[in-house]
Amino acid sequence: MSGAVLASVTSFPGAGAGAPVAPSAPAATVRRSLSARSVPRTVRTDPPAQVVATPGPVLLSGVLDGPSLEAHRDRFGQLPQLDLDTVLATVGAGAVVGRGGAGFPFARKLAAAATGRRRAVVVINLAEGEPASAKDTALALVAPHQILDGAEVVARALRTTEVHIVTPLERPAVGDAIAAALSERAAQPGRRDRSQPRWRMRAAEPGFVSGQARAVLELLAGRPGLPVTAWKPEAMSGLDGRPTLLSNAETWAQVAAVLRMGALGYAAHGTDTEPGTTLLTLPHRRDADTAVVLEAAYGTPWVDVLGPDVEQPVLLGGFHGTWADAGVLAEATVSREELRARGLGLGAGVVLPMRADQCPVAVTSEIVDYLAKASARRCGPCLNGLPALAEEMRLVALGETSASWTRIGELVGLVDKRGACAHPDGTARLVRSLLTTFDDEVALHLRGGCSR
Amino acid sequence: MTWTMRVDWPSCAARGLCAELLPERIHLDEWGFPVVEGTVTPDLLGLAKAAATACPHRALRLVSAG
Repeated sequence: MSGAVLASVTSFPGAGAGAPVAPSAPAATVRRSLSARSVPRTVRTDPPAQVVATPGPVLLSGVLDGPSLEAHRDRFGQLPQLDLDTVLATVGAGAVVGRGGAGFPFARKLAAAATGRRRAVVVINLAEGEPASAKDTALALVAPHQILDGAEVVARALRTTEVHIVTPLERPAVGDAIAAALSERAAQPGRRDRSQPRWRMRAAEPGFVSGQARAVLELLAGRPGLPVTAWKPEAMSGLDGRPTLLSNAETWAQVAAVLRMGALGYAAHGTDTEPGTTLLTLPHRRDADTAVVLEAAYGTPWVDVLGPDVEQPVLLGGFHGTWADAGVLAEATVSREELRARGLGLGAGVVLPMRADQCPVAVTSEIVDYLAKASARRCGPCLNGLPALAEEMRLVALGETSASWTRIGELVGLVDKRGACAHPDGTARLVRSLLTTFDDEVALHLRGGCSR
Repeated sequence: MTWTMRVDWPSCAARGLCAELLPERIHLDEWGFPVVEGTVTPDLLGLAKAAATACPHRALRLVSAG
């Protein structure tokens, strides 16, 4: 892959990064079964050791210049000074939606945070807990100032100086890259005025759910970084009850881009209804330890992203995602709207094409097993339901006829929307999607077969 | 104004009092955790408040449904 930037995630040149920390998920309790066979592992459940970022139209346009502040300013210019109304109008016109997975309009979040009685807090979430995702990691490594610019402009518009940055402990290179970028910004001449944000960094413990918004706010509040019940949106009541504008790293970089380019300039990329671009993470074709991050303008044909893999079944949106059947993406484009119309979703942009020998039922089983073990184990339905669902899925994947379609449906219903965070909902979505997209294949498994 | 019951899942310890006090809207799943169905109609408001108050872990709240 020429003209791409390769960066190490688990260690970084010149930084004293320790050994990667293994996820500390306790073993799940599962119902006893006569068969102790397990599904062969084919899905990577550790974060990538390396990430390749290929040059892209907006966020990744400067990756070959290197991550320095100087290169960033040379290419993108000085940070714009914008008032709140301008920021709101521009991000609204640019239709920027959250890139952490939920896709909530950023302008609505900002408006809510701005109308609170108390001063808002800004949070950059870089705690990319999903092993298959590396886009925020890639941004931190190759374009950290895009992220910081977005948060800084918005913090100033909100007249807040408090910006928290949460990085993933199991990807130490991210924290190192952000720390290096912050010291570059601090060293800028004339940058010591009082409107400068006070950047505060914090590392999130490893774990699939530790990047969840409320888990991040818990961490910042000095409590264990695990999801808790949100009675109000965090934009209304977040950190210490203050209005909190928490967005993931890509969202902040997209905000920086639209504010820098203006809504019209930003809309030069993408489609009429979906301006701009989105970051995608794909597995490297030959190297399982490497993730590939690329930036696609909305409206880009999937075949340009996936190449020949477009003919394979693809898991879109990662472990909490949805299954696109073989060939479905061949005529489709990268578009959240188009996917939604097909009952699919892009989530946080993880795209996992299956190899010809991989069975989607087995892959789903593997992922559900991982997700069950990744539960924070604090909510009853998730703690009990996910291991039970994983066990049922294991039986299906192995073609054991004792598994039942009804039981799977029952368990999916019992976990969905019954937790403090969306972990059980995402797991339910994945399984439902398998049952819908691959109903024939699941039925074949329930009779003891497998087409692959 | 319509109301519904919301569970604070990390606090809920499956004691099950809510299902005894408000069987019209709450039953227990196979692990003993509450399954909340539907909104709380005005005739049930008193019982719903009693169920929320009775929860030993304060894990049940009556919240506005809309």
